[in-house]
Amino acid sequence: MPASLTAVLLGLPLTLVVTAAAFALGAVGGIPLMLGLRSRFTPVRLLVRLAVDLLRGVPTIVWLFLLYFGLAVGDVRLNSLGAAILGLGLVASAYLAEIYRGGFAVVPKGQTEAAQALGLSRTTTFVRLLAPQALRTVLPTVTTFLLMLLKDSSLASTVGVLEMTAQATAFSRQNVSTAGLTPFFVAAGVYIAISVPLAIAARVLDARLSGSH
Amino acid sequence: MDLGEYLPRLGDGLVVSLQLTVISVLLGYAVGLLFALGVSSANPWLRWPSVTLVEIGRGIPALVVLYIVYYGLPSAGLLFDSFPAAAIGLTFTAAAYSSETIRAGIRSVPAGQREAAAALGLGRATTFRRVVLPQGLRSAIPALMGLAVQSFQTTSLAYSISVNELMGQAYQAGAVTFRYLEVYAITGLLYAAIAVPATWLSVYAERRLSHGYL
Amino acid sequence: MTASLFTPAGEAATAGVTIANLAKSFGSHLVLDDISVTVRPGSVTALIGPSGSGKSTLLRCVNLLETPDAGTITVGAQTVHAGRRIADRDLLALRRQVGMVFQSFNLFPNLSVLRNVALPQQKVLGRSREEAEERALALLDRVGLRDKAQQHPQRCSGGQQQRIAIVRALALDPRAMLFDEPTSALDPEVGVEVLAVMRELARDGMTMIVVTHEMQFARDVSDHLVVMADGRIIEEGHPATIMAEPAQERTRRFLSAVLER
Repeated sequence: MPASLTAVLLGLPLTLVVTAAAFALGAVGGIPLMLGLRSRFTPVRLLVRLAVDLLRGVPTIVWLFLLYFGLAVGDVRLNSLGAAILGLGLVASAYLAEIYRGGFAVVPKGQTEAAQALGLSRTTTFVRLLAPQALRTVLPTVTTFLLMLLKDSSLASTVGVLEMTAQATAFSRQNVSTAGLTPFFVAAGVYIAISVPLAIAARVLDARLSGSH
Repeated sequence: MDLGEYLPRLGDGLVVSLQLTVISVLLGYAVGLLFALGVSSANPWLRWPSVTLVEIGRGIPALVVLYIVYYGLPSAGLLFDSFPAAAIGLTFTAAAYSSETIRAGIRSVPAGQREAAAALGLGRATTFRRVVLPQGLRSAIPALMGLAVQSFQTTSLAYSISVNELMGQAYQAGAVTFRYLEVYAITGLLYAAIAVPATWLSVYAERRLSHGYL
Repeated sequence: MTASLFTPAGEAATAGVTIANLAKSFGSHLVLDDISVTVRPGSVTALIGPSGSGKSTLLRCVNLLETPDAGTITVGAQTVHAGRRIADRDLLALRRQVGMVFQSFNLFPNLSVLRNVALPQQKVLGRSREEAEERALALLDRVGLRDKAQQHPQRCSGGQQQRIAIVRALALDPRAMLFDEPTSALDPEVGVEVLAVMRELARDGMTMIVVTHEMQFARDVSDHLVVMADGRIIEEGHPATIMAEPAQERTRRFLSAVLER
């Protein structure tokens, strides 16, 4: 049993790297997409709407394969890790854009009116007043999404990234007769083990924020 | 090999994907309802196993679930073919997620409903079956529709255990024609052609349902 | 005599507001029907009338939170014409002259009380952080809420929040103040604190337009009463006179219903 645990844990760093990098990409990328969704110009809004719907409507694995197998400039292709992070990150930005948008929709209209009545510029109003309030509202949803992204990092195994799922599968293939269910259960256990402290941290963060708010 | 020859196969694959979706959603939601009842039960012998199964189902990646059913279970003497293995794995995942959605729907039924039923003298089982559950399921419908769309997208993972659904066909087509970009682009569009309108439908359903009773 | 709540800015301390032939529709519903009214500098105008009479809409047109379909609005020396596109710079200049207090306070929950009052000064008037916070503390002190400076608005009672909202608007040295049902969301005993601050403001000579249901305030503090119904001004004049002897039947009915409660 320790052998399968060691094997699976070999993949843990890459699991974490893929998750963190994709999340960072999505958290940042979601901002321009959200601004596009809220744009006053109808063509911009419709175009971004289409992009977001496509990013979320096409299964993540298809995006990964498109980027890994399909994207080539001359002889230059994306490597496994790059394709995985870019693919997961693009899909994440679409989901997070929707989450951000939901947060802004809940901010009371009176906030914008008060800011307008005071003569504050649109930028100041957005950055200093609306965004902080929206962010506080969506933080629980964002952490739920992060946990989902952790699981989706397993898809990176399909384009050759040796994260935990890939390691478990490889170990199982190499030890067909002896390994059995173990490496997969071990991998499952590690996934759950990581999500528990993350979920607790999220709950603590949420409680602390709603205390001062 | 010509790309044009492979397009009908993609169509066949799509049909298989849809079959998997229907099975995993119908069976999965039924099992999910059982899980929801188990998790809410006062009886610890029902509650703890249910909670454990739901947390496992929601906590591990769907890909790992598929691998466990296909590659792992044989060592326990359970051998499944690709399609049944995928159906079982996807049903389990759908059951775990839908149980939480159904539970949330049941919890959202206003307390006043139960109070009114109690005041009328309706027993607890009747109240649940005829008052709470119908309303709870109704309010869970938009979320369950969203889950169904996700289930459809998750069937794309079944290629990894050799199921010839859309993704599996696409993989083969790509490997043979080397026209990866076109193959996967068309595949993506096929998924989107179903998933995107279905999502719009569930958003519309949510809007319509929120106008009726709570 | 206690220091006034606001600092008169030069000779033209407070501004008058003139509205001419204002019209506004929401869809097919005509909410303001050819409204003309003049508010003299330093006067306190109370705007009363049944719900749906258009009084809030009229108030919100003054600082262009609502855009009128026709007519002109003059605040001090600046005139805005409906229908003509207004430049951002002119819009900001207009809003800088006029402060507004809302029924639901609309304080910013992510900022402390002090920052609520200081930030607009920094961003709109370009004051330094020290200057803005100093002025903020002085004003908060003036309304007895200096000890709340570091707290967030949610921790304050409704009456305290509304007084902070008034101070936030005053900190920008406006030349006129608009009040949109400032006490409607407050319990009567708490509303008294807010009305007291408004009385002081009036005594100090600020131009005020107040949409209110508080008839006592209207009678005691305002010197100009405007009665609206169905999008029109049906009566206008001195509050004591109108309330004692309403000229219009509609006014009589409204007043008797309100005063009975």
